[in-house]
Amino acid sequence: MIELKNVTRRFGETVAVDNINLTIETGEVCVLVGSSGCGKSTTLRMINRLLPHSEGEILVDGEDITTMNPEQLRLNMGYVIQGTGLFPHWTVARNIAMVPRLLKWPKERIDARVHELMTLLDLDPQAHAHKYPQQLSGGQAQRVGVARALAADPNILLMDEPFGALDAITRENLQLEMLRIQRQVRKTTVFVTHDIDEALKLATRIAVMDQGRILQHDTPENILRDPSSEFVENLVGKQDRGLKLMSLQSVRKVMTAHRDSRHPEPGVDTVREDDSARLALSIVLWQGAEQVPVVNADGQEIGFVTRERLMQGGA
Amino acid sequence: MSVPHSGFIADRPNRVIPALGLLALALVWILDFGVIQPNRIVSGTGHGLWSALGWPGAAVVTVVLAGAILLSIARIPKRYLLLLGLIGASLAALPLLLEVFAGRHLPADAPYARSSIGAGFWCLLFLLSLMLIEVLGRLRTGHWLQLFLLVALSGSWLLLFRGDGLESLSLVREFSARPGKFEQALYTHLALALGAVSISACLAFGLALKMTRSPAWQRPILALVSFLQTIPSLAVFGLLIAPLSALSSAFPVLQAMGIRGIGWAPALLALIAYSLLPMVRNTFVALTEVPESLADAGRGMGMTEKQLFFQLRLPLALPVIIEGVRITTIQAIGLTAVAALIGAGGFGSFIFQGLGQAAMDLVLLGALPTIALALLADALLTMLAASLKPTPATA
Repeated sequence: MIELKNVTRRFGETVAVDNINLTIETGEVCVLVGSSGCGKSTTLRMINRLLPHSEGEILVDGEDITTMNPEQLRLNMGYVIQGTGLFPHWTVARNIAMVPRLLKWPKERIDARVHELMTLLDLDPQAHAHKYPQQLSGGQAQRVGVARALAADPNILLMDEPFGALDAITRENLQLEMLRIQRQVRKTTVFVTHDIDEALKLATRIAVMDQGRILQHDTPENILRDPSSEFVENLVGKQDRGLKLMSLQSVRKVMTAHRDSRHPEPGVDTVREDDSARLALSIVLWQGAEQVPVVNADGQEIGFVTRERLMQGGA
Repeated sequence: MSVPHSGFIADRPNRVIPALGLLALALVWILDFGVIQPNRIVSGTGHGLWSALGWPGAAVVTVVLAGAILLSIARIPKRYLLLLGLIGASLAALPLLLEVFAGRHLPADAPYARSSIGAGFWCLLFLLSLMLIEVLGRLRTGHWLQLFLLVALSGSWLLLFRGDGLESLSLVREFSARPGKFEQALYTHLALALGAVSISACLAFGLALKMTRSPAWQRPILALVSFLQTIPSLAVFGLLIAPLSALSSAFPVLQAMGIRGIGWAPALLALIAYSLLPMVRNTFVALTEVPESLADAGRGMGMTEKQLFFQLRLPLALPVIIEGVRITTIQAIGLTAVAALIGAGGFGSFIFQGLGQAAMDLVLLGALPTIALALLADALLTMLAASLKPTPATA
């Protein structure tokens, strides 16, 4: 658990972070979102003491971070930044092994861990372990960046616009990957982004920041349904809130289940049970159909969702 | 870098080697190949290729050059390997031509007569070396083969010059007239140049570190080392004489150590002062060019500043630092020759003696090894820097 209590950070005369209070529960993904210069990166960098805070208290698992050795603190916090920050003179494997080596793990344990993490992040160890960062694509390099952060199994993950420099398709893939990994490893994560869609997709709770203050700290659904101010309302998009809410809802919640699963009819478009309601609506609209079949991960048809139900659910 | 298929390169006729070969052919026939002097000072009579070597020798030279030209434009597989063999062997055997020349023209009854090398021979040597470099470039040879060639060529030349056939050569005469002096000059020269480079490398490293840590020091330090570089070298040597003599007469300990107004002490100090600028600049630039985002990532992962320095900044900076050492070493080897003026010894002493006695061959005896040392240092340090490049070229 990370607690920020009345934390302020000044750069000379300017106040970058203005008396914020924020509690991040163990295992949740807290996304700090806001335009550039709103203080979100500053907040993140204060948590691992890359920046000292001017006033207030920051507690990690109840302990004041100013009483801890900064290096020890950081070794227990994975850190991922935009543009990866991979060391160019180290191979992929050596980069991932950075923190375990700092912690002086035995070699066999490090090798096993590197192998495990590369597999977890869908990087073929055989093909990529001995490459240098410049020989990777942007998406692969950022996967290595995430693997490096997870290497010593830290309790906390700090991510500073990690996918900001990637193209839309790669970014989308990595976001899905992150959701998958988060389900497996359950790290307490602080994630900074300026992209509200990314925030809505990844967060368990979002903190909207502007001019050094936290305007609203709530679940994605509550932020969409009940924005606390005009700024938040504009940020989430006043007009297409309906569709964004649908993106948050899974098909599973609105479908009508069959009594028994069956093979889907060939040639008919289907949605998966954990796809978003928004995707189901899109298919229904495009095909002019009244309903669309829902399949599970094994490809068995387990139910269907109707246009009428989708429209109700989105409200 | 896109690398075309190697067969494609090999099939295209080479343009550099024919050009160099034709130039060599022309110059070797036009210029004097060797000179016969009745004694050390009097300028002698020149001999062209035909007269110097007779028709067999002239024919061999012409055929080898023509052969190299033909090979380089022929569409033969492995022609660059053949060229490497031909040119390498010619270079290794080049002193034999001087032996033939001396054997044909040196009067047997004149003990002071000597043969000396003409412009034609120098041009042949130079152009053949350029052709060899071109061939090595085309073959994309590794460093080890280049090093092997260097050792093989130097070894062959050393053997031939040590042999009996070339003792009439004026360079060899000057060498033999000074038994032990040449080795001594070599050691003094190397000790002065390398000593200055190592001391200034340590100093520069410290200064550059200071500059990266406290930016307020950047301008004064850079201004000081740049100022040192602007004083003419002779002036520095001269300027150091007075304070050092005063010091050594005031403290007999210094005198006992051999520190006087002239000699190695002022030379070493001046060489260090000169070496500081390239060293400090390269080290500082190399250390500051390591992207701060990388340091930030490392720090954020829990590295201490010391770990960041040794695992990130230093390895990334090393090739550029070595580049600074390379520039400085070449410069110091050249400047050490000038330091002979204040009695520091080294190859410069031959040069200045030769100038004083109007004996050009003695000048060459000092100048040629200086050039050779500089080239050798250049080659070795370039190889070192290349092998330290942290990452392979991107595929």
